[in-house]
Amino acid sequence: MRAATWALLVGLTCASVASGRLWLALVLAALKAVAVGLEFMELRHAARVHRWAFTGFVGLLTAGLLLAL
Amino acid sequence: MTMKARALDDPPGGVLLWLIVGLELVTFAIVFALVAGVRRAQPDEFAAGQGALSPALGLTLTLLLITSGALAAQGVHRLRQTRLDDTRRWLLAAAGVGAAFLVVKAVDCSAHLGAGHRLGSSDFWDAYLLATGFHFVHVVVGVALLLFVSLRRAVFDDVETAYAGAALFWHLCDVVWFFLFPLFFVRA
Repeated sequence: MRAATWALLVGLTCASVASGRLWLALVLAALKAVAVGLEFMELRHAARVHRWAFTGFVGLLTAGLLLAL
Repeated sequence: MTMKARALDDPPGGVLLWLIVGLELVTFAIVFALVAGVRRAQPDEFAAGQGALSPALGLTLTLLLITSGALAAQGVHRLRQTRLDDTRRWLLAAAGVGAAFLVVKAVDCSAHLGAGHRLGSSDFWDAYLLATGFHFVHVVVGVALLLFVSLRRAVFDDVETAYAGAALFWHLCDVVWFFLFPLFFVRA
């Protein structure tokens, strides 16, 4: 799973550079943050409330930035 | 390996580190909002500043952090299998790649300073140097933590939490950079 997550993160990073669209790059950044949270930070194995708190924070942050830009 | 879900008061990496990570995420969210404010208020000046940044360099920095994060995660995976010596080696590798990030970022920063892009030269450079500088400090702390827990294991009563906590802080640096990267390197 860690190798797959690394490949996903590299793919999403390349996609965000290639897209050249800020909104898309921010959405991809959110996806990468959630992937790191669930797999690398082990939130996949944490209590459900921790998992949702992190994912919710990333979602709110991204939505806020998209609205601000 | 299947793991049972952890209890509410037992997050992976420990409660203290998660409190620090939460506080840091909120602090960086304020930084992102300020950068977004500059980008929105002065689009021409921001675009001119972005012209001096190299997207290839931004991509390289991101790939270094992602790779380092994956190495740290592999170390924690070994930790869960109680293979502490393996964990130590993976965390040292993560610190090595993290140090490469620091070198590349320091070279980038000195090149900008040499070109006259200093604090006070424009709002874009204020935002870029302060936001990425703040992140740089966190990466320095992260590398130091990874090295310290790897090399001075004997000083910890709870080695498992020390290793997992250091890796957790390291992943914070990844998550923060994921948002700094598009804000500065993706052009409108």
